[in-house]
Amino acid sequence: MTENPEQENQTTPQSEEEIRIGVYTCYCGGNISDVVSCERVAKQMRDMPNVVISRTDMAMCSDGGQALIENDIKEKGVNRVVVGACAPSLHEKTFRGTVTRAGLNPYLYYHVGLREQDSWVHHSDHYAATEKAVRLMSTGLAKARLLQDLDSILLNAEKHALVIGGGIAGLRSALDIARRGLRVTLIEKSPFLGGRTAQLESVFPVNTAARDTLHPIIEAVMAHPNIDIFTQAEMISAAGYVGDYQVQIQQQSRGVSDDMAEATMEACKQEVPDEFNYGLTTRKVIYHAYPGCYPASPAVDWENYDGEPLVVKGQPTVLYNELKTFDLTVGAIVVATGFNPYEPRQGEYGYGEIPEVVTLPQLIRHLALFGDGKKLEWNGHPVRDVALVHCVGSREIDGIHEPHEDGQVNDYCSRVCCTANLHMAAELREHYPEVNVFNLYEDIRTYGRGHETYYHESLEKMVRFLRFHGDDRPEVVAAPKGDTHPVLVKVRDHLTWGEELEVPVDLVVLAVGFMPRDVGDLVEKLKISRGTDRFLAEVHPKLRPVETAVPGVILAGTAQGPMNIQETVAAASAAAAKVAALLASGEVELEPFVAKIDLEKCDGTGACVEVCEYEDAIALETFTVDGRQVQRAVVTPANCSGCGNCVSACPNRAVDVQGWTLAQYEAMVDAITLDIPELMEVEA
Amino acid sequence: MATRIDPTLLYEIKEYGAVGIEKCFNCGNCTAICPLTSDEYPFPRNMIRRLQIGQRDKLVQHLDPWLCYYCGECSETCPKGAEPGETMMAMRRWLTAQYDWTGLSGKVYKGKGWIIAMLLVAAIVVIGLAALLAGPMVTSQVELNTFAPVHMIHIADLILAAALGIFLLSNLARMYFFVFGKEERQGIPLKIYLTGAWTLVFHTITQNRFSECEDSKRRWTNHLIIVAGYGTMFALIVVFLGWFQTDNIYPIYHPQRWLGYLAAGALIYGGVEAVLGRIRKEHEMHKHSHPSDWLFPILLVLLSASGLTIHFLRYAGLPMATYYAYVAHLVIMMMLYVTVGPMGKWAHLLFRPFAVYFQEVKAKAAQLQRETPAEAVASAAD
Repeated sequence: MTENPEQENQTTPQSEEEIRIGVYTCYCGGNISDVVSCERVAKQMRDMPNVVISRTDMAMCSDGGQALIENDIKEKGVNRVVVGACAPSLHEKTFRGTVTRAGLNPYLYYHVGLREQDSWVHHSDHYAATEKAVRLMSTGLAKARLLQDLDSILLNAEKHALVIGGGIAGLRSALDIARRGLRVTLIEKSPFLGGRTAQLESVFPVNTAARDTLHPIIEAVMAHPNIDIFTQAEMISAAGYVGDYQVQIQQQSRGVSDDMAEATMEACKQEVPDEFNYGLTTRKVIYHAYPGCYPASPAVDWENYDGEPLVVKGQPTVLYNELKTFDLTVGAIVVATGFNPYEPRQGEYGYGEIPEVVTLPQLIRHLALFGDGKKLEWNGHPVRDVALVHCVGSREIDGIHEPHEDGQVNDYCSRVCCTANLHMAAELREHYPEVNVFNLYEDIRTYGRGHETYYHESLEKMVRFLRFHGDDRPEVVAAPKGDTHPVLVKVRDHLTWGEELEVPVDLVVLAVGFMPRDVGDLVEKLKISRGTDRFLAEVHPKLRPVETAVPGVILAGTAQGPMNIQETVAAASAAAAKVAALLASGEVELEPFVAKIDLEKCDGTGACVEVCEYEDAIALETFTVDGRQVQRAVVTPANCSGCGNCVSACPNRAVDVQGWTLAQYEAMVDAITLDIPELMEVEA
Repeated sequence: MATRIDPTLLYEIKEYGAVGIEKCFNCGNCTAICPLTSDEYPFPRNMIRRLQIGQRDKLVQHLDPWLCYYCGECSETCPKGAEPGETMMAMRRWLTAQYDWTGLSGKVYKGKGWIIAMLLVAAIVVIGLAALLAGPMVTSQVELNTFAPVHMIHIADLILAAALGIFLLSNLARMYFFVFGKEERQGIPLKIYLTGAWTLVFHTITQNRFSECEDSKRRWTNHLIIVAGYGTMFALIVVFLGWFQTDNIYPIYHPQRWLGYLAAGALIYGGVEAVLGRIRKEHEMHKHSHPSDWLFPILLVLLSASGLTIHFLRYAGLPMATYYAYVAHLVIMMMLYVTVGPMGKWAHLLFRPFAVYFQEVKAKAAQLQRETPAEAVASAAD
């Protein structure tokens, strides 16, 4: 032992209190005790300074084990507790609860991970593992001696959520949050609600019309008193922290008043490609997304409106976009910004070069607009043979497929397109039985309940399947003049022993995957992160699947990755549940492991502010000390992540992360270098 | 060179009686379980796949359907209920139609109307010829050879046999040209055809490959009984008609009588057994029946039964009944040959043994191909 811990204790305000530590070495049902001699460890701990009691138990986390600790606190006056057991992620919270029940501050507990850090990784060397356990436990003791009461950070939470995105995810989230009694502001960038779902027709797995699913939820959202909807609106700035985000919303004018809507639309002659129909048709710049869309009044497409005056009822009228900006304080933000269908690059499978090559979303719109269920036509020509190609823009292989503009390939599976494609195949055969359908796939991934039926249905309806390898995708070429068909699809078919086959078709349909939306500005404003696939990333794929690393910013739906409607709605409801759990009590509780400034030592160098990577976490403020105006660092705990950058930067050691102070670290480092082997020899 | 997909073939093969083939997802369980498949002839999956994508050129070269005897294990094992066994059956019909240069085969196989038309044509032709050429009907006693003089009937038989032979052999020649490509034919010396001839004779007589199907002993035996009965009767009628069709009354031990009884009995027994099997649908092979599958055994039974009827009516001394029965017998015979004859199911009696024979010829030729260069190298080294 190089230093006397008492020396450190003198610096803490609680130094006058006698430190009485209870140490518990858990067998973990054999997980630890099969390797580590827990009894030896416990015996060793008994002789350490400040240790009042050292025990073992088969399972400390059991009711009996926890009762041991509670009794020792109550009867033996134990005021610091160290348990050597599994990983802290598993039971640290359990034992914090135990000590709290016995009347101690929860942060007077320290958890040593003997299982993951020791017994599981050193099972072949019992002696060394026991020695390591003694070291780890001594380290825990060293820290425990310096533990202080800490209080969780309680923040007032605004019972109001912002939902960004008016697609089915945003709508579902908004409605669920509102039904829990919280206020919701829903903003949608486009003039109409419904998002991608509105562009679909019959959807799997039960062939319901997409709008029959969508419209009731839009109506419920529009009718709900707790929800404010702003279309053509964007969040332009965000500051603050969970429970208290200050956001700024900017909304464009709708452009025409309801009484003038019909006449203005009539007067408008300017046409642009209609993105709702993926460019298959054109629309006016004053428009409805689709008949029966929400809201019902038409809107001006400001991006495309050329500013020319319109002659409405004989009056030349110029439309003006009056931007309206307003501030909002919300407790949480739900990001439901959705996805874009992958747009194949020029020439990819002949797209953009051969007029008979379309995407699946385009075909869905085409059938919705022009399909009569009798004769299938494309470009005025009857369609006799159709090829559906899977995995377009999905499951690309780095080094084989051409990277996209950002240099990346879409190596992920878009999940939805397999079933969507098979659904289309079966539908075509159903409504246009004279049309032959060829389905070119790499793998059929009909993973969900009721999805596989579309595969079997397609087979039964005589859809022909051709299987290619991912590194050898089909080729689409224009047929030579005089051919019976306009397009040829060439594929090395692995169901036919890798033979080169040529499929003559009238239409090629590309089942395009999901592309992340360009939400770079939002990512920046909210400090959230993206995964390697460029979709927004959750903080933990299993345990916290809809939360971002930023407290109070929650993901909903396909902004996070490819999902079908069912999954999107489930994710949206999960997001709503998270928002409600955060805000419903009106308070947000955060762990106290944040930076704390010792104002005695701080002399306002600002080094901490420079290195801080979090917005508004630490700042210099002016104080009056002995009548002088001085700069001192001040931490906003809610914005601090406890990373410790400031601690390392401060030349005066004026900053510490609570619960992980420099003094504690030093004591732990000292403890881990103790000369234990000699002690162990004596025991052996 | 890429093969072009032809989506029409799948619809077509369904007209030939394939059921459920569209459900096939190419897993290959059928081929894995098949007791008769081989590396060179990996059926049924190979063929089913080529049907799905419509590779007519490749399929017409296939011997596979003739090498299958429908034990039904593939259909039992198929996870999709795609009935590969029935597809093999349909392929035999399809191939028969491809070999048939008259084009009648496909029409009769695909359309019930054509079957009925052909049956009517047979009846009209035979009755018309009978009306035109038949001798006087002696009513005082049975004089069949006066009504239908045996030398005339024999000539008609020979004409019919020749016609059957011409159709059958010309179709067989087409089969040969389909199965062996031009280059392949040039590479096969006559010796190989000759040394394989025993296989042809052996399989024609025994249908031995049939017996290699698991649990097929009973069907094979029944088939052998039919073949033996048919062969005997065919010889009696085409070769020995002068001896067989007589107004003489022989004692029971006379070979003219017991040979006839045995052959007719075999045909009736085998035919009835086949029809009953299709009614019971116990065996996979009998679950799906194409009209031609019914017609062939039924006509065989009727043919034998009407033959026996003539015989018994003659022995009973009923002249008019005998004459009418005789005409009916000829009508049935003609019906058999124009519907399920050389352009139909009957033709398998040559296609099956020849398929086994061609398979052997191909194997020997391939062997020769493999050995020749080595020998050439060896001889060059000497």
